[in-house]
Amino acid sequence: MAEPVLDITDISKRFGGLQALSKVSLSIASGEIVGLIGPNGAGKTTLFSTLVGLHRPDSGAVRLDGRHLVGLKPHRIAAAGMVKTFQNVALFLDSSVLDNVLTGGLMRHPVEGARDLARRCLERVGISAIAGKLARDLSFPERARVEVARALCTEPRVLLLDEAMAALNHVEMDEFMALLRQLRAEGLTLIVVEHHMRAIMSLCERLVVLNFGQVIATGTPAEISRDPAVVQAYLGRSAA
Amino acid sequence: MNTSSTRLVALFALLAIAVVLPFAFDPRGYAIRILCLALLFAAMAQAWNIVAGLANQVSLGHAAFFGIGAYTSTLLLIHFGLSPWLGMIAGAVLGGLAALLISLPTMRLRGHYFALATLAFGEVMRVIANSWGGLTGGPVGISVPFAPPDLAMLQFKETRPYYWLMLAALVLVTTIFLAIKRSRLGYRLRAIKENADAAEVIGVDTTRTKIVAAVISGMITACLGTLYAQFQFFFDPDTVFGVASVSVRMAMIAIVGGIGTAAGPILGAFFVIPLEEFANQIFSAQAAGLSQLVFGLLLIAVILIEPRGFMAIGPRLKRLLAREKADG
Ligand SMILES: Nc1ncnc2c1ncn2[C@@H]1O[C@H](COP(=O)(O)OP(=O)(O)OP(=O)(O)O)[C@@H](O)[C@H]1O
Ligand SMILES: [Mg+2]
Repeated sequence: MAEPVLDITDISKRFGGLQALSKVSLSIASGEIVGLIGPNGAGKTTLFSTLVGLHRPDSGAVRLDGRHLVGLKPHRIAAAGMVKTFQNVALFLDSSVLDNVLTGGLMRHPVEGARDLARRCLERVGISAIAGKLARDLSFPERARVEVARALCTEPRVLLLDEAMAALNHVEMDEFMALLRQLRAEGLTLIVVEHHMRAIMSLCERLVVLNFGQVIATGTPAEISRDPAVVQAYLGRSAA
Repeated sequence: MNTSSTRLVALFALLAIAVVLPFAFDPRGYAIRILCLALLFAAMAQAWNIVAGLANQVSLGHAAFFGIGAYTSTLLLIHFGLSPWLGMIAGAVLGGLAALLISLPTMRLRGHYFALATLAFGEVMRVIANSWGGLTGGPVGISVPFAPPDLAMLQFKETRPYYWLMLAALVLVTTIFLAIKRSRLGYRLRAIKENADAAEVIGVDTTRTKIVAAVISGMITACLGTLYAQFQFFFDPDTVFGVASVSVRMAMIAIVGGIGTAAGPILGAFFVIPLEEFANQIFSAQAAGLSQLVFGLLLIAVILIEPRGFMAIGPRLKRLLAREKADG
């Protein structure tokens, strides 16, 4: 395995009486696409929020290229090269699509440069046609794609996608996966949370399974689908 | 001609009218003084608009910066004979420092909490100015010493030069507002307004951005405080540090006109300031306070009818007309 770009050690996070993450450790190699799966409420979104600095972990360490991130504000972590998209979609609703994406580019570019970059990001994600629309007038799948374009516009090294493919149809999903593979080929490292098993199985060479805030399995898609603990986690929930 | 050049021509025409407008009024009359105040308050509301309009941090304490500007230049003029222009710079520095000071503890507050904290800050400044008589002259107020009328000393015999000065100030502050709106700072402020968490995650230093905007706004407001002092020649803590007389009025003007837009504070000021004077003249004979009541009711009516202010009425009419057409 190549040098890890992202190193997560023993991250724990508690919300009142709920242990949302307990001692999560994960090492991600540069240029990997890792799938993060787990039942609803497993802690996937909480892990992403903690990694980008929206939550401060109760204990544990996060290192990006060897640099410690715990305690840094989200904008510092973005500057270091890690951003996430929001599962519930957190766009600037009264701004145009182009302005939404452009804002992501301001960290490293003046307005004009950010606007050019934003246009390229819109094109890559395939939503140039809606550049002038207000974010609040978009459909949910469109909004999710604007989220991705905005995150790309920050020129990250590590991108955390929280159910960015939700609500895409099959054609769009195939296009989107092609984009992710292309980004990976350009050197981006990706962690992808997805409920679509077909997509995640074909996209990722490695899956990490979270349940009740704990990593219960890691391995190739084939290994994971045979893992009794994983099957139990999913079946146990749906049976309950 | 395309719409942007039409707009530019209209803008210059409007500005030309504004420049020659004082010739239509009695130079020693009352009306031109009202125009001066309307221009000044438009500029103040525009300065307030930088923070409140772009980032939605609604301050009710801007009187603090206004009063600091008025007192700084006036005290420097009284004690050291310093030109109010230099006094204005000193006031801007102090106003900026005060904005920085109040920004630090209120940074994480939003909405009503931010409004209340800034309101308290303005009130603290008023109380200090009232009780520190040795410095400010206390509740009796303070007079700007007369100097030979001259631009260098920011004093004039007639009202017209003040009018042009206020007009220039309004144009300048509006230009600054527009420049900020289109700059990185403007985009970042809007991102904070619309989703602060998302803004942070994609690299916006929300704390720093808010502080920078607050300091710019505070500095400009302090400069306008100096203009006010030079125009009125006499003021007291309750006027320049007042909640109703300054803080709420600035907010009200921008909100009535259209918060976050460049034209909003201008429309708002030319509605609110003359209306207030008018109400004062009509009702002051009957009962003190009645004029304020009528004024307040009118403002409530405006806000109930169109909370986004006059600037939203145009688009709304357009939509209505479009619907009429579609129906008919
Ligand atoms: N800010 C918070 N305060 C309190 N509890 C929270 C908070 N955020 C998440 N939780 C709880 O933590 C647990 C993990 O939630 P999280 O959103 O991380 O799950 P998830 O794996 O992303 O689920 P889903 O697949 O439904 O998106 C849940 O029980 C959730 O209710
Ligand atoms: Mg989630």
